[in-house]
Amino acid sequence: MLASRSASLLASTSKVASTSSLAARAFSVSAARQHAAPAPVPPKQKLKEFKIYRWNPDQPSEKPQLQSYKVNLAECGPMVLDALIKIKNDLDPTLTFRRSCREGICGSCAMNIDGVNTLACLSRIDRDENKPKKIYPLPHMYIVKDLVPDLTQFYKQYKSIEPFLKNDNVPVNSEHLQSPEDRKKLDGMYECILCACCSTSCPSYWWNQDEYLGPAALMAAYRWMADSRDSYGAERKERMQNSLSLYRCHTIFNCSRTCPKGLNPAKAIAQIKLEMATGA
Amino acid sequence: MSFNVLRPHVVSRTGLGMMSLRQLSTSRAVAVQASRRACAAEGITAEDTVGFKYVPGGPILPGTVNDATKFPPPDRTHGSYHWAFERVLSAALIPLTVGAAVTSGTAHPILDGILGVSLVVHSHIGFDSAVVDYFHPRKFPVLGQVMSWLLRICTGLSVWGVYEFNTNDIGITEFVRRVWKA
Repeated sequence: MLASRSASLLASTSKVASTSSLAARAFSVSAARQHAAPAPVPPKQKLKEFKIYRWNPDQPSEKPQLQSYKVNLAECGPMVLDALIKIKNDLDPTLTFRRSCREGICGSCAMNIDGVNTLACLSRIDRDENKPKKIYPLPHMYIVKDLVPDLTQFYKQYKSIEPFLKNDNVPVNSEHLQSPEDRKKLDGMYECILCACCSTSCPSYWWNQDEYLGPAALMAAYRWMADSRDSYGAERKERMQNSLSLYRCHTIFNCSRTCPKGLNPAKAIAQIKLEMATGA
Repeated sequence: MSFNVLRPHVVSRTGLGMMSLRQLSTSRAVAVQASRRACAAEGITAEDTVGFKYVPGGPILPGTVNDATKFPPPDRTHGSYHWAFERVLSAALIPLTVGAAVTSGTAHPILDGILGVSLVVHSHIGFDSAVVDYFHPRKFPVLGQVMSWLLRICTGLSVWGVYEFNTNDIGITEFVRRVWKA
């Protein structure tokens, strides 16, 4: 109440108030000034609504619902992950989500924000207070709780493409050399952090994720096919010779469009198809 | 498997609750325990012990959480040959269509016939892709077969129809020409 009244007062005499508050801040170390100055004016509230998907496995009979939270953006960091952490700290400690590095390198906080799969830590909060922000877990996944999807199948598929160097003739007493040109072929693929944004944005993966590998696993597969140090490219490709693992890709391009790291899984998949057709 | 444990109601409802001692709190604990069981017990496959049993509403995850997914047996007719044929056919349809547009169907009946059959085969591959996407037999053992055969019958009838139309009637190129001018 007091806060809103002083906030409106602040708004009506914005120029004077802002200068005085600035002055109060600048001289805050001086005790005499502190006494002379009026009571410190709290910063203006900037309430933004966040609608967040909630589902609790302990109450399985209750349907999932969107829960609304009002976050004061004036006291919150710029990214969606900051708002989520603020909600968990201040408003509702039961809100559940994955997060780790808060700088877009771990891939934990992948979620669907305003209809786009992205990393919460790389997604800026729109400053428009009138538009609520809707946050869902990654689409078409089994949900463990709230914003936490079950990625077991995703990791099992990643494991199935054998994401490691396979070569029977590894140099014994020297390094495994690679030309700069060959190394360049891996750029744009090795950066993948396996956040699952691309795979869960792919309609083909939604319908057939038990068999179709999905863009993330396929790009990881091509990363090893394209590696000049790997000698199992033919075997890796031969295993894709069925109608489901690879060829459920219908070049929809949702994967490339949504990738929060700006990579291009669709191109990698197209390369696999081309190399398998031409025998390269 | 991990998901069942996280949703005790599913476990208890379906009789998987027999393994109630293993209703642990996190999927990681299950993963560790699952792999240990599979390694320790000789001759018992992952499917037998901790393998996923399908429950309505749950995920389909054969084996333990540490087992990689399996690939179907390789078959190039369903893989790269199919893909290459599809692309070549699609590309070939461009000059075929242009050729039919600039010539007369009655003067070049062979071209007319090739165009008709190519169009039907091209459509068949497209629809077949949709059937594989949405009615795969692994999910729909009956409906999948029905859809697949329905498509084959439709394609067969279409080819027969194109043959009849091209031999006993004006042919598709001439037909399009007349519709265009009408």
